Amino acid sequence: MTQEIPPVKAPASVLKNLGEVRAMIKRHKLNDYIFSLIGLLALTLALLTLLTLFSDLVIDGYTRFNTDFLTNFPSRRAANAGLLSAWVGSALVMLVTFLVAVPMGVAAGLYLEEYAPKHWFADLIEINVTNLAGVPSIVYGLLALGLFVYILDLGQSILTAGLTLGLLILPIVIVSTRESIRAIPVAIREAAYAVGATKWQVVYDHVLKYSYGGILTGVIIGMARALGETAPIITIGALTFIAFLPPSPVTEVAPFINFEWLSSGFTVLPIQMFSWLSRPDHAFHINAAATGALIIVVTLLMNGTAIYLRYKIRKNIKW
Amino acid sequence: MQEHIFKQYDAELEAVRAKVLEMGALVEQQIADALEALTGSNPKLAKAVINKDHMVNALEVQVDEDCSRIIARRQPTAGDLRMVLMMIKTITDLERIGDEAAKIARYALKSNETDRVWTPRFAEIKSMANYARDMLHMALDAFARSDATKVLEIAHMDEEVDEQYQMTMRQLITFMLEDPRTISMALEVLFVSKAIERIGDHAKNISEYVVYMVKGKDVRHISMEEMEETAKD
Amino acid sequence: MITPTTAIKAESRDLNFFYANGMQALKNVNMPLYENKITALIGPSGCGKSTFLRCFNRMHDLYPGNKYQGQIVMHPDNTNILEHGVDPIEVRMRISMVFQKPNPFPKSIYENVAYGLRVRGETNKRMLDDKVEEALKGAALWNEAKDRLQDLAFNLSGGQQQRLCIARALATDPEIMLFDEPTSALDPIATANIEELMSELKQKLTILVVTHNMQQAARVSDFTAYMYLGELMEYDDTNTIFTRPSRKETEDYITGKFG
Repeated sequence: MTQEIPPVKAPASVLKNLGEVRAMIKRHKLNDYIFSLIGLLALTLALLTLLTLFSDLVIDGYTRFNTDFLTNFPSRRAANAGLLSAWVGSALVMLVTFLVAVPMGVAAGLYLEEYAPKHWFADLIEINVTNLAGVPSIVYGLLALGLFVYILDLGQSILTAGLTLGLLILPIVIVSTRESIRAIPVAIREAAYAVGATKWQVVYDHVLKYSYGGILTGVIIGMARALGETAPIITIGALTFIAFLPPSPVTEVAPFINFEWLSSGFTVLPIQMFSWLSRPDHAFHINAAATGALIIVVTLLMNGTAIYLRYKIRKNIKW
Repeated sequence: MQEHIFKQYDAELEAVRAKVLEMGALVEQQIADALEALTGSNPKLAKAVINKDHMVNALEVQVDEDCSRIIARRQPTAGDLRMVLMMIKTITDLERIGDEAAKIARYALKSNETDRVWTPRFAEIKSMANYARDMLHMALDAFARSDATKVLEIAHMDEEVDEQYQMTMRQLITFMLEDPRTISMALEVLFVSKAIERIGDHAKNISEYVVYMVKGKDVRHISMEEMEETAKD
Repeated sequence: MITPTTAIKAESRDLNFFYANGMQALKNVNMPLYENKITALIGPSGCGKSTFLRCFNRMHDLYPGNKYQGQIVMHPDNTNILEHGVDPIEVRMRISMVFQKPNPFPKSIYENVAYGLRVRGETNKRMLDDKVEEALKGAALWNEAKDRLQDLAFNLSGGQQQRLCIARALATDPEIMLFDEPTSALDPIATANIEELMSELKQKLTILVVTHNMQQAARVSDFTAYMYLGELMEYDDTNTIFTRPSRKETEDYITGKFG
């Protein structure tokens, strides 16, 4: 019934004594140290490059940091030229982009994650969506030119630009939506189903509520990318010199909203910057530098907001 | 028997089991020596039996402790649980048998005192004593082999011992009626036979615990027919 | 073998279950659950006990490709809850579940308990308040939680979270409550609390519990089923299983000789 239990044999030690053990640990620690140094170096280089670029822009363009620059239309005289039509254009295009990308992206992400049957078709869509995120933006521009401008005859308008950029960031929104949904533990989902919730109740009461922080982050990062996009906007033929504002979306008389602005011609910040840069006069280059600095600041602010929101929303969710 | 995944548990169970068997062997020897002292008028042996009774008691205490430790630390279930319970009960019976052996040894000493008119004749109860010893041996053997089939035989033997006790008692009564001077002698013989009869009872108990250990069925306090029924399946 | 004094609340009849990958996880399981009793499922990992438990609230329906064969009949209405015509949601309205790890929603304590009622369309604040209080009392959490109902559930301790999950499952007045290794993530005191709670709950409902802890099955259940490789090996009174199981396989498992 009982067996002789063989005594545990001490394994033949690779290391002879404590001194060797310590030397070995030291060697391994050195590797740690070397790697952290390399990492730090790489990080510093990247940040330094960015900082140099940014400070270069600031040094070149700081003379134009004033309210006139934001409230003046473009002008033939560099000192009088301003960004008014460009930033308003950017803001309106972003609004359209947001309205296009968010509902479509979130709905598509939700469908793929929660509703779509999991077989080869879903896999195919998944691969395509991921690939779309890597398609060069100029291709989107060409697509938009053919589809929106010529076929749908939307013109070279804010609507066209918004739709194009919306399509451009759609993959980002879809992917970030799916990622945030996937981050919700199965246990929470099952808990909701177990009390008798329907699929829609689970999606609405739980999935969306716990993932919107992540979705929002993805949306903001996508928008930040869209803000700096130039190529597709140029392709669809945005104007480079605009001395007027689109009709206001909000009016003083009922119904207080109009949609004429959608079909208005426009320009955006990066195009304005591009057009100034292509002029021979150095004074315009100063304007371009100031615009570049502005775009970077706005982008950083947007990303910062994304990080803050994610932190704040995640604070109440622990899993 | 298959081993436990936790080998140490096997070792512990086996250690207690070995101790119970050791106690059984000791008690068997005590009875044999006590009877030898009685029939062979050997006061030295009788004293040795009386002196060794504390060893039986010590083993009882040890096994008790071991069993409670196993219960506390291993939470035995099913067969293991029944074995532990069985051992706790068995050692109580063994300890009582040890006491009976010591009792017999004390009568052996007394019977050797020289200033007595009559020397009691214990030879007549020898066969009954051997019977009881066999029962104990069989019961311990059944425990060692986890054999539940012996219980019937042992129960029959117990009836036999009881009968012999009754016979001895009737015989002694006739002695006492014939000659009152034999009364004190006869009583001594009676007490010794009573002790032997008790040994038989304890042996039967142990064989019943073996059935519980092996089959999980309680065969105490039931009729012979019911017991036969149980032993069959 | 079993001579119960209570009625059968539900029973599986020739239940087979296949996972999407074709693996048969349950083989012809026939097993009754007795009303107001706690039935424990024990067995080595992968023996199908959790699979069996999750058949009772059709949890397997959440994942495509899983297949049931046979019946689980609920009494007294004789509904086969595995039938195609029976909506899994209907089943989950009658049979609630407590999971292995406490899984409260990232919502307030109140909302966690009220969720099952909200799903059922209950909007009356008074009614909700009453039910939440009743469920929290039933789950022995009321005294600890009554002053912090709007606190996030995550701020409770592990044991409290599990009792909150029990309250959530209890709020909808289920007929059967399933426990899938409810204490495997808890310390011994929290475990004792849950076990005590289970034996109180059985006054009101029928309980089926999967446990890896045999002592827990021995402590808390009235009936114990030993499963192995998808089969029900032995099902009996817990006292019998733990003192004199009739099959050697059961004996080897509960005495720790399995393997």
